[in-house]
Amino acid sequence: MEEKKLPLEGIRVCDFSWYAAAPVATKCLADFGAEVIKMEYSAHPDLIRIAMPQAPGKEGDLGAGGWFNNENSSKLCLGLNLTHPRAKEIYDKLILASDIVVENFSPAVKERMGLNYEDYVKLKPDIIWVDQPMQGLIGPYKYTPGFGAIITPLGGLSHLSGFPHRPPVGTGTNYTDYVINPGHLAIAVIAALRYRKLTGQGQQIVMAQLGSAVSVLETAILDYTVNNRTPPRTGNRIPYAAPHGCYRCKGEDRDCVYYNMYSVPHEIPGRKDDRWCVIAVFSDEEWEAFCDVISNPPWTRDRKFSTLLGRKENEDELDSLVQEWTIQRSPEEVTMLMQQAGVSAGVVQDAEDILVHDPQLRARGYYVYLDHSVTGHSAYDGIAFKLSETPGKLTRPAPRIGEHSEYVCKEILGMAEKEINDYLVEGVLEVG
Amino acid sequence: MSEQKTLLGDVRVLDLADQKGVYCTKLLADLGADVIKIEKPGGDPMRHIGPFFHDEPDPEKSLYWFQFNTSKRGITLNLDNADGREILKRLVKTADVIVETFPPGHLDEMGLGYSVLKEINPRLILTSITPFGQTGPYRDFNASDLIAQAMGGLMYLAGFPEDPPHKLHGSQAYHSASVQATLGTEIALYVRELTGRGQQVDVSMQESVLISLETAMQHYDLRKEIRRREYREAPITPGIGLYRCKDGYIFSYIAGGLAGAGWDVILDWLDSEGMVADLRGPEYEDVFALMGDIQKMIRMAETDLEALMAVVGKWGHINEVISAFMMKHTKQELYDGAAKRRLMQVPVQSPKDLLESTQLEALGYFVDVEHPELGTTLKYPGAPCYLISKTPWRISRRPPLIGEHNSEIYEKELGLSREQLAVLKQEGAI
Repeated sequence: MEEKKLPLEGIRVCDFSWYAAAPVATKCLADFGAEVIKMEYSAHPDLIRIAMPQAPGKEGDLGAGGWFNNENSSKLCLGLNLTHPRAKEIYDKLILASDIVVENFSPAVKERMGLNYEDYVKLKPDIIWVDQPMQGLIGPYKYTPGFGAIITPLGGLSHLSGFPHRPPVGTGTNYTDYVINPGHLAIAVIAALRYRKLTGQGQQIVMAQLGSAVSVLETAILDYTVNNRTPPRTGNRIPYAAPHGCYRCKGEDRDCVYYNMYSVPHEIPGRKDDRWCVIAVFSDEEWEAFCDVISNPPWTRDRKFSTLLGRKENEDELDSLVQEWTIQRSPEEVTMLMQQAGVSAGVVQDAEDILVHDPQLRARGYYVYLDHSVTGHSAYDGIAFKLSETPGKLTRPAPRIGEHSEYVCKEILGMAEKEINDYLVEGVLEVG
Repeated sequence: MSEQKTLLGDVRVLDLADQKGVYCTKLLADLGADVIKIEKPGGDPMRHIGPFFHDEPDPEKSLYWFQFNTSKRGITLNLDNADGREILKRLVKTADVIVETFPPGHLDEMGLGYSVLKEINPRLILTSITPFGQTGPYRDFNASDLIAQAMGGLMYLAGFPEDPPHKLHGSQAYHSASVQATLGTEIALYVRELTGRGQQVDVSMQESVLISLETAMQHYDLRKEIRRREYREAPITPGIGLYRCKDGYIFSYIAGGLAGAGWDVILDWLDSEGMVADLRGPEYEDVFALMGDIQKMIRMAETDLEALMAVVGKWGHINEVISAFMMKHTKQELYDGAAKRRLMQVPVQSPKDLLESTQLEALGYFVDVEHPELGTTLKYPGAPCYLISKTPWRISRRPPLIGEHNSEIYEKELGLSREQLAVLKQEGAI
């Protein structure tokens, strides 16, 4: 069968972005066929290359990092030392040879590098130029440094997440870096690309990561502006369902190794006993079905639990009674029993459950395995939306630094061998 | 075409989505698409979700409805009725996209499957958002936001180790699925400009959140380690995590110069207020030096764990000194002091703080939307990208009232007569 063309083939992206929130957006473009060219230098790598996890025995190798690799599938890498004064000679050419430019530097760095839309649009009027600073290119806090980790607390999500009697611990990850901010950004970029196809016009897109994060607080903003109310943290509860929570289940009788990101040592041998399920009961019918699944113990006939209002008023007691039942079972068993009865339930899955055991994800082939020169055969997040005709494809593993320098310099920039060598000697370029 | 003032102004969307997809159609609508929200006669169930305007429970006062239905038009239509389904088919002729969230197979059962719809309009894109996708052994499972956050692994990473895992606030699985669905829909629209044909977009809520596991999947894949929730009441690594301050919480990420300024800067700051204690002593030099060098720390964990643990043993005291400093200050003082010094340290902001944020004000983030029926103007959260220079991302109208655009669409567009509409109303079709 003839290999189908990917939808964004022929679109070139000059990608200055690093860390996470913009690289995940350019991963989406790359997985749909855009030629995305990153620029890095071994002495100045994208810093998430050095973060954990690293392939065992390869720690310290700039290609060993699973965090970086996952976000950079299907991309090319030009080994360019962006801190060198002569780097601009090269990236200026690449910008003008591209359809889209993406940068997520601090505005201070962007200014220092001269990466201004206003200058380049004069030379290439239909360029789509994308800036994704933390807090904006304008405003009193535009120079405040940061990355995804600070957006969750600054953008309101930490204040609202977690249990009411506990500190605002947040989301456990740099949450907005992976779907919310790169997603909102790519939504604007792909629409702008289509707009350019229809009208011939490019434009500038600027996302303040802070603003994008505030967009997903559900009704918290309106509740404050309209009713002057800041709701307390509600843990796993919502106003219109009960039970609606997370319940401890029976642990497994085997050893495992846990990983803690912020404490040392990071690796903690343990038992696979941190097992939980979630159950959500919305309607009276679902409540009846739930009671049947747990064999109608006498407490379920107590009048205080027979209506949603009653269950909400006695939710602490309800939750502890539910847990008395779940703790005798594995979360998988709870899930199957509830789902067979039409009640929403699920396993609080850890990465092992998700990557190895989840039959749904395996059947749908979500994770993609690619052969990488340092990490070997390793897993990548696939594409989270399936297009029936043009599904996209992870065409290559994350690049090594400078892996595609020769291709970019010769084929795209038309540089002669001698010119390339001069830049190599001067420490501007690197071939990986 | 060159007249178009929005990115998606030429796109019409029929919105058959519930909570799982209502943010997708809001994104499309705020980008300029003509989104027609199709509600059951009497109003969509989302209108019953609070909070409500001035706490008055009323289907025209749901803030949940307001939040997710800006820039859309609205009609009522009953798809359980044969005439209702025929009307939908007529609407499909001029539609570019349908966004739906029915259980897999439900549209087929109603005679409105993609094979039928694309006969009517081969350019149609059908975007479907379900808990686990259109295929696979769990395709018929029930799931709300909570279930998808759990099955997608987000919850396992969130919270304190001594507490149960907690969900992320704000229905993040619904939001994530809607963002992914919008991306898929836009790529399908782009492809349609090349091929002239529509296609189906299948979005699983569970899959939508998976990339947000950050490094958890790779930890297992590369090293067979299970990353888990681990925050403590106070940070473990000094300078990284949540600290209590005078009036709330402050989040620091002072990773030894990895991003932003380093330890010398924060020690100067403590010193300037006489609160550096003994941290400038020689016994702490190696500790601060190591905190700026992640690679060295990783190597030491492999080769000289004992030496590493000796350093780590001094972390507790450093944290005590920093905690005492934080407790002397408000979060605004700590934020401004950090901003001045280029330290990564920000307040844990509440909705009130966000509304008072001078930064969001400078971006023009919050926007006023007139609600004449309520006799007032409400302040909404605004665009995720504050600048799209030629085609701004904006709210074009307040959310629709129940059946507000029935006449506009049924009479003016489809040419139904008043008599026909009366019949349709009596049989419960509209």
